[in-house]
Amino acid sequence: MANSKELWQQYQEALRRGDKEAAAEAFRRYLEAKKAEGRGGSKPTLVNLSTRAKDYPNAVPLEEIPDEMKRSPEFFELLKRMGKGK
Amino acid sequence: MASVLLASDFDLPTRSASGFLLRWIAPRLGPVHLFSFLDRRLPFQLAAPQSDIIIGTGHGDTNAFTGQNEAVILEVGKYNRREVEGKVIKLVSCQTGLKLGPDLIRNGALCFAGYSDDYVWVMDADLAATPWADKMAATSLLPVVDGLNALLDGKTARESFDIELEGYTRNAEVEEDELVKSCLEFNRENAVLLGDPEGRIRARPKLPLPFRLVPPPPILVPLRG
Repeated sequence: MANSKELWQQYQEALRRGDKEAAAEAFRRYLEAKKAEGRGGSKPTLVNLSTRAKDYPNAVPLEEIPDEMKRSPEFFELLKRMGKGK
Repeated sequence: MASVLLASDFDLPTRSASGFLLRWIAPRLGPVHLFSFLDRRLPFQLAAPQSDIIIGTGHGDTNAFTGQNEAVILEVGKYNRREVEGKVIKLVSCQTGLKLGPDLIRNGALCFAGYSDDYVWVMDADLAATPWADKMAATSLLPVVDGLNALLDGKTARESFDIELEGYTRNAEVEEDELVKSCLEFNRENAVLLGDPEGRIRARPKLPLPFRLVPPPPILVPLRG
C-alpha cells in the first residue's frame, strides 16, 4: 500500500487535472493511509471562515471531503487553490 | 485606550478561532470583548470609536466581516468613518483583504491585516469545549496569536505581520500532515497587510502569570447544528 505522502501527490495531480472522481478517490485512500499510520486527531475537520453565501459548509469532517468535493463546485475550486492546482 | 475584540462563537470554526483569542489575547486587552452574543453591530458601533485596535474573528467575504450568527459588523460603504479612523485592524476571516480591507484604509484605518482568500485550517471537532487545547488547530492559529501578541507588545504592523508569516512557514516545514501543511501554506500566501506598515499601538501589559498557567474554563455555549 502506498504511504500517505505518495497518495497526497496522486490527489494533487488529480486536482490539477480537474478530475473530481479521481481526486475524491485519491483523498479517500490518503485518509485510509493516514489512519493506518496512526496520525490525525479524533475527529479532524476542515474548517473555514467564509459566509453562508458559499455553496459549501464551514466545517467538513475529513472523511466527508471526497463527497463534498463532488457535490460542491466551489469547494472543489477551493481545494484546487489550496493544492496550488490553479 | 480601549481595545475591541470581536469573537463570534456559534459553529466549529468560530469556536476554534475565538477559543485561541480568548486563551491568548483577551487577557492582555482591557475592555471591550464582544464575545458570542455580544458580537453584533450595535455594541461594536459604541465601542469602536474609543479603541486604537480592532481584532476580530468571524465569518466574512469580500465585502463584509460578520459577528455572531453572521450579523454584519463591517460592510463596504456601510459604516461610520469614526469606527475605523486611525486604528490598527486585524480580521481573521475569509476574503476581507479583497474589498473590505482597502475600503477600511480609504476610510482612515491606520493599517489592516487580513486574508485575500478563505482562511482554512484543520481542527479536532471533539475538542470544541476546550478549543485552545487543539494541537491541530494550533498549527494555524498560534501564528495568528504570535502576530497579535507582537502588536500588543508595541511592534509595528509589518513586524507583527512578518511574525505571523514566519510562524506559518516554520510550522509548515515540520508538519507531517499534508492537508494541515497545505492549509498553512494557503493562509500564508493569502495574508495581506494594507495601509501604513509602520502603524503600531500603545504596548499592552504582558500576559499575567495566572493566565499563562491556568486555561479558561471549557466553553459550554452550544454550537449551531
